[in-house]
Amino acid sequence: MAAYPGMSMGEAHRRITEYLNRFSDAVSKQDAASLRFLLSLSSNSPFLLSLADALNTFHDSSRLIKHSDHYSQFSDILFNFFRSLQTYRLANLFDSYQAFEKSANAFIQEFRNWESAWALEALYALAYEIRVLAERADRELASNGKSPEKLKAAGSFLMKVFGVLAGKGPKRVGALYVTCQLFKVYFKLGTVHLCRSVIRSIETARIFDFEEFPKRDKVTYMYYTGRLEVFNENFPAADNKLSYALTHCNPRREANIRMILKYLIPVKLSIGILPKDWLLEKYNLVEYRDVVQALRRGDLRLLRHALQEHEDRFLRSGVFLVLEKLELQVYQRLVKKIYFIQKQKDPTKAHQVKLEVIVKALKWLEMDMDVDEVECIMSILIYKNLVKGYFAHKSKVVVLSKQDPFPKLNGKPVNS
Amino acid sequence: MQHRSHLVHRVWEQQMYHKITMAMHHTLILLIHMVMEIQDTRDTIITIRSSSSSLTILAISSSLTTPAISRNLTTPAISSSLITPAISRSLIIPAISSSLIIPATSSSLIPATSSSLIPATSSSTLTLPIHNLWEHIKTQTAGGYPSSGYSNQTTTWSDGSYANYTPHQYANYTPDSSTSAYSSGTVTAPSSHYQQQQYKQWADYYSQTEVSCAPGTENMTVASKSNVGCPIPGVSSGYSTSTSQAPPSYTPSWMPESSSSEFSSVQPAAGISSASDAYWQHGAPSSQIHITSPMQPQSQKPLDPKTSYDSFLDQQKAAYSQGHNLQYPATHQVPQSYQSPANHQVPQSYQSPAQTVPSSDTRRVSKLQIPTNPRIASNLTFGLPKTDKDSSTTGAAVKPAYISISQPKANEKVLSNDAADSMLKPGTFPKSLCGYVERALGRCKGDMQMEACQDLLKEMITKATADGTLYTRNWDTEPLFSLPNVDAVNKDSLQSSTPGLSLPKYKRSPSRRSKSRWEPLPEEKFVDKSASVVNDTMKYGGWINANDKDRKPFFGNNGNKENNMSGMKFSPLDQKNASKIAQRPVKKQRYADGFNVADNCDASSDSDKEQSLTAYYPSAITLANTPEEKKRRENRSKRFEKRQGRTESNQFKPKNAGAGNLYSRRASALVLSKTFEEGAARAVEDIDWDSLTVKGTCHEIEKRYLRLTSAPDPASVRPEEVLEKALDMVHNSQKNYLYKCDQLKSIRQDLTVQRIRNWLTVKVYETHARLALEVGDLFEYNQCQSQLKTLYAEGIEGCHMEFSAYNLLCVILHSNNYRDLLSSMSRLSDEAKKDETVKHALAVRAAVTSENYVMFFRLYKTAPYLSTCLMDLYVEKMRYKAVSCMSRSYRPTIPVSYIAQVLGFITARPRNEGSDVKDSDGLGECVDWLKAHGACLIADNNGEMQLDTKASCASLFVPEPEDAVAHGDANLAVNDFLTRTSL
Repeated sequence: MAAYPGMSMGEAHRRITEYLNRFSDAVSKQDAASLRFLLSLSSNSPFLLSLADALNTFHDSSRLIKHSDHYSQFSDILFNFFRSLQTYRLANLFDSYQAFEKSANAFIQEFRNWESAWALEALYALAYEIRVLAERADRELASNGKSPEKLKAAGSFLMKVFGVLAGKGPKRVGALYVTCQLFKVYFKLGTVHLCRSVIRSIETARIFDFEEFPKRDKVTYMYYTGRLEVFNENFPAADNKLSYALTHCNPRREANIRMILKYLIPVKLSIGILPKDWLLEKYNLVEYRDVVQALRRGDLRLLRHALQEHEDRFLRSGVFLVLEKLELQVYQRLVKKIYFIQKQKDPTKAHQVKLEVIVKALKWLEMDMDVDEVECIMSILIYKNLVKGYFAHKSKVVVLSKQDPFPKLNGKPVNS
Repeated sequence: MQHRSHLVHRVWEQQMYHKITMAMHHTLILLIHMVMEIQDTRDTIITIRSSSSSLTILAISSSLTTPAISRNLTTPAISSSLITPAISRSLIIPAISSSLIIPATSSSLIPATSSSLIPATSSSTLTLPIHNLWEHIKTQTAGGYPSSGYSNQTTTWSDGSYANYTPHQYANYTPDSSTSAYSSGTVTAPSSHYQQQQYKQWADYYSQTEVSCAPGTENMTVASKSNVGCPIPGVSSGYSTSTSQAPPSYTPSWMPESSSSEFSSVQPAAGISSASDAYWQHGAPSSQIHITSPMQPQSQKPLDPKTSYDSFLDQQKAAYSQGHNLQYPATHQVPQSYQSPANHQVPQSYQSPAQTVPSSDTRRVSKLQIPTNPRIASNLTFGLPKTDKDSSTTGAAVKPAYISISQPKANEKVLSNDAADSMLKPGTFPKSLCGYVERALGRCKGDMQMEACQDLLKEMITKATADGTLYTRNWDTEPLFSLPNVDAVNKDSLQSSTPGLSLPKYKRSPSRRSKSRWEPLPEEKFVDKSASVVNDTMKYGGWINANDKDRKPFFGNNGNKENNMSGMKFSPLDQKNASKIAQRPVKKQRYADGFNVADNCDASSDSDKEQSLTAYYPSAITLANTPEEKKRRENRSKRFEKRQGRTESNQFKPKNAGAGNLYSRRASALVLSKTFEEGAARAVEDIDWDSLTVKGTCHEIEKRYLRLTSAPDPASVRPEEVLEKALDMVHNSQKNYLYKCDQLKSIRQDLTVQRIRNWLTVKVYETHARLALEVGDLFEYNQCQSQLKTLYAEGIEGCHMEFSAYNLLCVILHSNNYRDLLSSMSRLSDEAKKDETVKHALAVRAAVTSENYVMFFRLYKTAPYLSTCLMDLYVEKMRYKAVSCMSRSYRPTIPVSYIAQVLGFITARPRNEGSDVKDSDGLGECVDWLKAHGACLIADNNGEMQLDTKASCASLFVPEPEDAVAHGDANLAVNDFLTRTSL
């Protein structure tokens, strides 16, 4: 390969040596911040970019590494890192990933031997880099028609890192960061069931209190586990976790808040708590506006319409089925409205709602449902305790309880 | 199935606890009898204390105890959950007070003797010279002791007990006149007989016990017996069989017995006990047949002492190793909670001895659970022949010879063993601890809790051992821990399994297993062939299965495989392999504990003797002689050799030389599948798909499916055009699904080995998927569906929409996984969403998630293609949900006619006045259905049937399916039956 313009051999040599010196200095001084900087492949810092150019000019970097005892003990890390950087500069992400993983592997070997946890920052950088690099390598692989599998590999690598950190001792504090990176990998891969083992080891370990983890990791962790609870339709737990994430996250990070709200709002809706409109506006969550509106008004048509309109988005984020279940609450609201109207007309008979009235109301909403179907829905409403009372089949009347005929959910999920 | 048997077992266990005391009494009395009789023998006398009853009994010492005694003893011990493993050890260390000491059964069990005693014994006491039955003892020990005494064998040997097994006593439980023939020292043919006899007697005895005292005990005994059998046979062919064989396959035949015995435990009824009794007897004759034949010649031949000694040694080794086997699996059970199945695969992960120590308690527990499996009974029957054989072989040798020579050796082994085991000796547990454990377990209700408790206890004991408080703590006053929250514990245990270990692998294998339902069963052969040696092996196979099955239930999700694995690994495969076997356990030991057993060299020298040993095993010879088998075995051994070389540290080394064809084939298939699972990178040496892409030359249209165990032979593979015809043939065939399924599988196989992936492949899979759907065979359907998914993804034309709709329905109705559903839904293309079938499926989805039964049954009626079949499988669930919903929300009544209409019993709507015969049929069906589910029906003034909602609200239940079978899948049993009859 031709030497890069403007970079003489001597210059290249100098830069490489400088990097090596900085690396060994950082290690010997236990300076995690600079080590982190030196390992942040994708930071595109001018220093690393020029190093990459230097490496492409000066091919015999391994000799330089072996040259001094200071670096040679890290030869596995450095040699592979150089290769990764080199190929990264050339936009060969697949090779770059391969080399980076080797380098990272060598690094955690070293890390294991360091008694204190001083290098955690650097390890975080590695964990982050390897995930990002894997994602990009996968994109490259996919565009070449090959099967993208690097993210999966990164997942197992991170699992290894987790294993290094998860034990007792000062290093454990870093376990949550790696966990969060793992979550990101698993959610991207769609293999969220793999999260379970990690979660278990985080949540059941008594030797380390969850609150001792860094705040940012706790927020991320709660966000992802909250999402998992949404998948499990465990709404109270999801509410807890997402609320935790919301209250603890950096209030200036609106993008993060929006991500949290994206799941928290459906969860809150399903336990009967509606958001204010300004919240939706502020965080640009307008897709929920119609859903909320439908719940307020008992407008089934609006709900269905909103669901249909944003179906793709809801399906992708995984809240579709949650939102769909709001239908029952919409029915409840509708019956409640009918009840109020009847009460204004004739308070003594208000607690008897004729089925045909409901059918008619639905007709106005252009919901074409016959008596049997509506009867079934009323039956389900009563069964799920959204309506108190009973249904008289003979007279086709919903007889409402005189006391609190439409119990509020009050933060509890609909019985299922 | 597992779960069910588990449950039953729990109940049973529970009862046991209550009845322990009574049982103990009984046994103790028996023991005392025996002891008195034995006293004139010069054996040492050991004091036996039962913890629960706190009775002290004098029992026969080291060497000679009738099996009966030992078992009796064991039973209560087990039941009290105090000792099992301890028994054997306690013998060695008489001083140890640990709750129950059982006379070293290991060495002392001489079944033959016992039987011979029987006639005379009618009253109570008989002392018999045991001389020649020595071998029995051994066999017994090896096999029998797995359950109760792990390494007792070893111990006993070191004891030098061999020398003194002179007087042998058979408990007087079952005076059976028929046995009289065997009384004298005849070792030869009758020996086999003895055992049967003996067993029969046992059965009798059990039934007696049952009636008289504790029903639990009876069961226990049975269980332990079966245990006895398990290890040995398991050893021989066990490896292959256990894994590959579908559990259900032989269920039918054994089912009745097992159920009866189990039942009896719960409810001691005379009738029941007799049933089990009958069962035993039934087992006996069969074993008799063949065992005798091999024995006769051998025993009559004057063998030169040297050889016999050799064989003896081998035998001993084998036995020894078996002992190990037993022991080790047991140990593994201990860690149960944190040991993922993968551990077995990876020897390195075996626990250190320290871990094992506390386990003894668990072991005991696990043992308790062993009886869970109804099929245990079958073990017994099958196990006997093996024992006999062994004994016969050994029998040739002169007793004194072994004693003198064998002793040092035994000692040596013992030593090494002891070193490892000393900590394990449950016998060393303080009595109070045993009591504590008993109390703790006694409180448990339900199996989950029991398991959880066991885990907790294990933990406690481990801890206590670790910090040295095991003996110092006052267990009597130790507060019982609060009953564990089952969920939490489960979680814990799950968690503790190393995340990195490859669980999925194991999870998958059950499905694999069920495949074998298409293969003929061991019983089949058993019946077909008389007396041949092959039979024996077959039987062992059966045994193994049983063995494996036994344990499975216990392990539940956590570890169910591990036991299998260990069984396979370490169990001696065959007599022929006896020496090899000896080697293997040693190895395992090394893995497990990291200590080197000194006698490794012995083992290797033994392998040289294999040849000579073979001479004494007619069965082995016979097998070896069939050319077919020879060839096969060659191939196999080649494969295994390679494997061994390559994966030195890898767990198991199957050598199933002597197993019957069927089993060996299965074994190798298993190895293959295993290796696939392990990742193609390793092994599968003889399957290189590239080079094996064969071009078929077979022109027969019809071909039975047989799972490949080696490279496909082009002569038996059909080329594409023939396969096309075969598919047509299946299409037009009038035969039943099982036939078609078989044919289609063989077509699929031929397609696969020839790497044909085109429209024909799609068509075959679609055909099979549809057929499977029609009969509700979701297992095959899922296989086809997943293949179809990739085939469609490759762009091959087919009924893509139809099958994506099925897929959707399948996810909705049968997996009920929220995320799967979401991902299947989001993967649907716009084009797909417009397809009628898919639309229907989506509508069904909506109806199901909203529990809208009216919608569901409307869609049910209008379902296109085979969507009906998939929905069919959900109808029952939906109806039940609907009725419980209705009975909650309607008051006071609902007309049944309305229910029938809404829930799809009636096709036409009543208001259409289309009330024809069909409608009234539907109504009747609806009434029946409602009644079956506990609904309260009343007639109103007009005589119309109404559902009384308020009353029904509380009384609704889901009835047990009528065709329920214990293993949980009625289909499998039926299929088994049909495969055997129709093909």
